[in-house]
Amino acid sequence: MNTATRPERWSGYALLTVMAIAVVMPFLSVFLASLQPAGTPVVGLTWPERWSWDNYERAWSVAGFSDLIRHSITIALGVVPASLVLATLAGYALGTARLPGGNAVAAFFVAGLTIPVELIVVPLYFDLRGLGLTNSYLGVILVEIALFMPFSVFWMRTHFQSTPASLVEAARIDGASSATILLRILLPLARPSLMTLGLLVFMWSWNQFLLVLVLIQDTTKHTAPAGLGFFVGQNSTDIPTLAAGTIIVMLPILILFVVFQRSFVAGLLQGAMKG
Amino acid sequence: MRSRPRVQPASGRGRSPYRGYVYVLPALAVYLAFAVLPALHTAYLSLFEWDGVTLGDWVGLGNYQEILQDPILRRSVFNALVLVVFFSFVPIVLGLAMTGLLARHRRPGMGAYRFLFMLPQVVPLVAVGVTWRWLYGDDGLVNQALGAVGLDGVTRAWLGDFSAALIAVGLVGTWVLSGLCMMLFLSGVQKVDPSLYEAARIDGAGPVREFVSVTLPHLRGELAIAMTVTTVAALASFDIVYVTTNGGPGEQTTVPGLLVYRLAFSEGKVGLAAALAVVLGFLILLIVYLINRLSRSES
Amino acid sequence: MDRTHRVRRRVAAAASSVALVLPLTACDALTPGSAAAEPGPRSVPSSTAVPGEDITLRLQFADAPLMVDALIAAFEKDHPNIRIEPQYKTFSDYVQNLKLTMTSDTAPDIAQYAVGMTDLAADGHILDLAPYREAYGWDEAVPPVSMDQLTAGRTSETTGGRALFGVPAGLSMTGIYYNKELAERAGIDSPPRTLAEFEDQLAAAKEAGLTPLGVGALDSSGLHLWAALLNQTMPTDDYWDWVNGAKGATIEKPAGITASELVIEWSRKGYYNESANGTAQVDSTAQFAKGDSVFLINGNWAAGQLATAMKDNVGFFPMPGVRASARTVASGFSVSYAISSRTEHPEAAGAFLDFLTSPEAGQIISDNGFLPANPKAVAKPEGVLADIAEGHRRAVADDGITTFPDFAAPAMLDRLRSGVQKLIADRVEPADYLDSLQDEWEEHHAQ
Repeated sequence: MNTATRPERWSGYALLTVMAIAVVMPFLSVFLASLQPAGTPVVGLTWPERWSWDNYERAWSVAGFSDLIRHSITIALGVVPASLVLATLAGYALGTARLPGGNAVAAFFVAGLTIPVELIVVPLYFDLRGLGLTNSYLGVILVEIALFMPFSVFWMRTHFQSTPASLVEAARIDGASSATILLRILLPLARPSLMTLGLLVFMWSWNQFLLVLVLIQDTTKHTAPAGLGFFVGQNSTDIPTLAAGTIIVMLPILILFVVFQRSFVAGLLQGAMKG
Repeated sequence: MRSRPRVQPASGRGRSPYRGYVYVLPALAVYLAFAVLPALHTAYLSLFEWDGVTLGDWVGLGNYQEILQDPILRRSVFNALVLVVFFSFVPIVLGLAMTGLLARHRRPGMGAYRFLFMLPQVVPLVAVGVTWRWLYGDDGLVNQALGAVGLDGVTRAWLGDFSAALIAVGLVGTWVLSGLCMMLFLSGVQKVDPSLYEAARIDGAGPVREFVSVTLPHLRGELAIAMTVTTVAALASFDIVYVTTNGGPGEQTTVPGLLVYRLAFSEGKVGLAAALAVVLGFLILLIVYLINRLSRSES
Repeated sequence: MDRTHRVRRRVAAAASSVALVLPLTACDALTPGSAAAEPGPRSVPSSTAVPGEDITLRLQFADAPLMVDALIAAFEKDHPNIRIEPQYKTFSDYVQNLKLTMTSDTAPDIAQYAVGMTDLAADGHILDLAPYREAYGWDEAVPPVSMDQLTAGRTSETTGGRALFGVPAGLSMTGIYYNKELAERAGIDSPPRTLAEFEDQLAAAKEAGLTPLGVGALDSSGLHLWAALLNQTMPTDDYWDWVNGAKGATIEKPAGITASELVIEWSRKGYYNESANGTAQVDSTAQFAKGDSVFLINGNWAAGQLATAMKDNVGFFPMPGVRASARTVASGFSVSYAISSRTEHPEAAGAFLDFLTSPEAGQIISDNGFLPANPKAVAKPEGVLADIAEGHRRAVADDGITTFPDFAAPAMLDRLRSGVQKLIADRVEPADYLDSLQDEWEEHHAQ
């Protein structure tokens, strides 16, 4: 259906390219800065005279970014599986069973899409402190699961609603229980949806800042973004090391983005509903 | 959500129809305990004057009254609304313009562009903030670029400038969200039946009319989603502000999220912080409601 | 559609009924703060014995990381079984999070004394050190004056004397650094003796095409500048009353107006670095070290760094008074450390604080540009460090060390920072600025 004329097509590409450059320049600027010798002042976009990875080594070991990354991974590994399991169970029941009041419960979850962290963080701090869950990864994990639950349930419910009813019907006639239907028949089909959801939840967990800032006071337990937020205050003069730290914090999510591009983009676009 | 043909209840014959709730309960419990109850607790705390340590005093709606009167708190709400322009309005207009220009033809190589445009969307906002803090600095890319085109006269530390700081922070939001809006609209346009465009062409429609009469009506759903997502991002913009300006200079970039954090945790005004959080939550709810209401009434 | 509408209404009804019921049931048990438990003991034991087991202490601080590292290293050598883990935060991050940090279960064992500690002391989150004061004999090693800043205005429940919530390591003071080479280029040959002379020098530097004064007003340097000027215009007694929250004290006096007007005037004349409001204190220091400005407003905590970077090319003087005969008045405090009530090792933490009063620690403190609490114990400093020691000696002799203005109320730091930024940008009338400070003061000292 290529009805475009030649100049039309090229002007389109030119425009896209200009936008793409605007998006990429900041990343490129930081990346190049991270290769400059540590401690030197860097002006804007400067090509390094020689490529040096020392800043990464320093940020990784001396500035403690290896710990920060480890903590972030610990939290994400707690949040992602739990979110997937809970959302699958709830989405399955709300999506396939005719529960009395099921729509109300689903609407109740959807209403949670609009809860910003700011709205819950103040009492959370005092309540979790009372339970001994501040400065603990468990506390952050539980709150993150709850924060992402509205979207997760919504996502899985939508998925299960779209699976052909005949599949479930046939299994039931064969006498399968509801648990068997979920495990044996629906779950294998849900792999792509679960994959996308897992990636999105991982990303939100990785990027969470305010919650960690409040709930984890012990700087030796900080996550990657929180650590970076403190690091920038102390090292705003040492641009190369700061740039290396910034890249390190972005890298895990960038790698996932490159590898699972298709699921990611699909999730972000279809799942943009998330508030 | 469209309603779909429903599957027969997964609960077996003759059992209680409530049995299915066993599956829902774990998710519901976590959601209630760590999101819904804290939100209600915030509303409750907002009725007290409390320093976070000693016994609080019941003040009813006094904290809300203070939000209306205190110039700094009012200013923070105003700033958040200004940010909506940059986080929401500008990216949507940009996205629509791009879509209008690109809608008619499927292009090879879009995958690579899509990857790039979604990039700012996936990285931590803190990292984005740290990056832009440097780009906006004296020696940053922005000043370097301005110098390169002969605008040395206007270079400055943008985040420290009273008239520029809020716009500078806003443009970071534009940078983050434009790609998302564009990709949303482009993917929406792909669902449009190509014959509609051909029909419009045969009718002699120019690009503008084609956009208004064919493209735009089909993007209503995507528009509502884009507006919702970007507005929420603008109102809850704590991360970027915290690492770039920390609210300064003066109160030029102070946003509600920042004040909630400060008031509750370093200034010992927990009740006031809770009230501001409630106002923020209410504002988000109101805007989401209005957007959904509008997009529905048009359909 | 109908169905979802009904559902939505039902959810709304349920939510609002919960919201209605909650306040009604607001009996005492639900009042925020009622569940707050006592954090622990309020005072340290009176024995100086240190257990021999392996102990790790966490120390959180905001000033002079190099000095702290050196102090820890020296202390660990004397006490091989005690390990101290330093956690550095920038000043604004530190102060912003101090209350959260110190009231959490994992509060550091030792923490730098800062704004907010007074409240924390009142609520029992940091330990009263008065028993150690006697047991270790700190009165001998530390001039009592420096410990008087650390009583949080309380009486010790254990000893009955004055309470003590921190031990000073070094004393701090703000003032003006100058780049000798650049000063010479601008025809400036000696530190100014009066404020007017200093203004002439700033003008001369401007004339010579240099940036006269570096200010990192993005965070706290702006308020240091304003306070340094206020020190010269306002009687110290009035200032102390205000910071201490004395009844009827006010900052809305002609002296406050004059100081604020000076900040504006210097800005209009272009004396500050162009991006003062967008420059952090650490950045302004780094730029000064590079030779970007003739003068720099900062505190002695930057001296170690500047002495290393600029060698003999840097000097220091306290902000001069209106008349040459005026007292030397400068803002300063002690870099002191408090002990958390939640620590499991008050004895080991006490041993570290005691180490700070030793001559060995004094030397390390002095080498890093701070003034040891007991100056007699250390070798005579050189270069810019000698300038600072001399300035401090004069200020102490004149009883002219005033505390920082942000100690007046927990939220004062934010008011001062944003207020001075507005002064620098010429965006606020001095009277309105002072009014915003006084509003905050009145709110905090209302009881």
